[in-house]
Amino acid sequence: MTGKSKYTKITARQGWLSVIPVLIMILLIRGYPLVVGLYESFTNWNGMSRNDFVGLANYISILKDPVFWDLLKNNIVFMLFIPIQLIAGIVVAVLFYEETAGWKFFRNVFYLPQIISSVVIGYLFSVFFSYRGPVNAILKMFGLSGKEWLGEKWSAIIIIILCLVWVNIGWQAMLGLGGMGAIPPSVFEAARMDGAGYWQRLFRITIPMLGRTIEYSCVMSVIWVLTGLFPFIFSMTKGGPGYDTTTIDYMIYLKSFGSSSEMGYACALSVILLVLVTVLTAIQMKLSDKANEWGD
Amino acid sequence: MIKNGVIKIKKIKKHLVVRIVTFVSLSVLAFSFLYPLFFMFINSFKTKTEYRKDAFALPESWNFDNYVYMLDQFELIRYFFNTIFIAFISIGVMMLLAVFASYAFARLPFKGRSLVYMLVIGTMFIPAQVTMIPMYQMFSRMHLVNTFTGVILCNIAGGLPGAVLLLTANFRGIPVELIEACKIDGAGYFKVIWNVIIPLGKSTIAINVILSFVSQCNDLFTPMILLQEMDKRTVMVALSSIMSKTSGDQAFQLTGLLLAVLPPLLLYICLQKYLVKGLTVGAIK
Repeated sequence: MTGKSKYTKITARQGWLSVIPVLIMILLIRGYPLVVGLYESFTNWNGMSRNDFVGLANYISILKDPVFWDLLKNNIVFMLFIPIQLIAGIVVAVLFYEETAGWKFFRNVFYLPQIISSVVIGYLFSVFFSYRGPVNAILKMFGLSGKEWLGEKWSAIIIIILCLVWVNIGWQAMLGLGGMGAIPPSVFEAARMDGAGYWQRLFRITIPMLGRTIEYSCVMSVIWVLTGLFPFIFSMTKGGPGYDTTTIDYMIYLKSFGSSSEMGYACALSVILLVLVTVLTAIQMKLSDKANEWGD
Repeated sequence: MIKNGVIKIKKIKKHLVVRIVTFVSLSVLAFSFLYPLFFMFINSFKTKTEYRKDAFALPESWNFDNYVYMLDQFELIRYFFNTIFIAFISIGVMMLLAVFASYAFARLPFKGRSLVYMLVIGTMFIPAQVTMIPMYQMFSRMHLVNTFTGVILCNIAGGLPGAVLLLTANFRGIPVELIEACKIDGAGYFKVIWNVIIPLGKSTIAINVILSFVSQCNDLFTPMILLQEMDKRTVMVALSSIMSKTSGDQAFQLTGLLLAVLPPLLLYICLQKYLVKGLTVGAIK
């Protein structure tokens, strides 16, 4: 008996010693800055000497500022890429699953944008859609006049959404393919025996059974829109014209390391972003739990 | 009989049409992914004026001026070296820490283990922007701004949750009997990890290394904030400053983009078969 407990003790000690380096790294590099950031969001810190406690002043001025609501609106508009990506990606995944002609080649090619840096992709889009760029050259061939695509609000937004879809189709298809691998083939066989056609199989079996995959990709994509667009915005529009394509995460950069150094303000914006990410993720998980219940 | 035959032929015809339409649309999509690479390639050999005249034509002559200028004037080699050095060290240390910790999370129970696990994994969802400002201040007090060490620490802490998540899931699948048998043979802690855990977790570790390498090579935000000195920059940071400096010469810009894409692209092409398999299997956990 004593031997057993001694063994457990040794195991426990080894366990602690194994995780301590990771724990220290995480607490020091992620945890500590998070706590400091939370504190600084209540100050008028400018990155230098000025650092007085101002209470909720930053939060109040952010929420009162119409610019913040524009940023939020931009983030929400960019989320429009998610349904397009989901539909396109799952259609492609189904085609891959049914081993359509050349599917292995297509699979490898479609995943390419995930390997290429978002910065490079953003710059590529900005070259292609620049005034003297190839897109305008093609339009000119057809006698149409070109325009400064990324210089106007709505065309810039549409091109960014297009870019996000282009980047993520392969990712979504791969995810869908992985999810479909988990569906027992006998389910499809049975459906086919019962005379279910292609579309019926798609809507009655594949999509419902991909529930978890779709949930996962929705959650990840929403988090990504809120936190991962920085390289795209930075390389395509720099948030312009005005703040028309600026997202919250890009604004944090502008306010801290970009055009000004209102660190306290930027910290408050960061806290708001973190709260948004957490709340939206929680809501989505709740919703999809409900949806899965109905599905069952 | 005849009627049946006609229906059958019609069905086959319809089937064929669907297949052709599918193939063509997939090809168009594939073209949109491959053409930009080709476009960068052909235009990297052109001069500014030649690009303006016709961006779609093949270059009149294969002149390497853009490449020479990029490597010589902008010292791109140094930036490649910086990038790869940073990625190498951060991924090495990160994987080492992650293997030990994941072994504990999977197979060495201790009090508070699930709490520590949740804490580590939970930080995965904290955006880099949120912690960057205080971290920059902390690093500047510790004299880590403009050093590789600062970026490396950031990369390690940023990559750890993901690595721990994947490795723990993988190590949980390793049969306890194997570990017990190894222990009965007199193997200590390190020997178990070296002889059982690492060999059996090899493919997950490899996938993780490759994906971390790609994502660190491609990252802009962290190195851009932490490395402002010219000769410490990574490829992406240098590229973004080259792009803003040379906006008049798109042929030159495309050369830079192509060069920046090459390392991860070559890695992808070489390890494609392996990577794609790992991605489909490991895509959902």
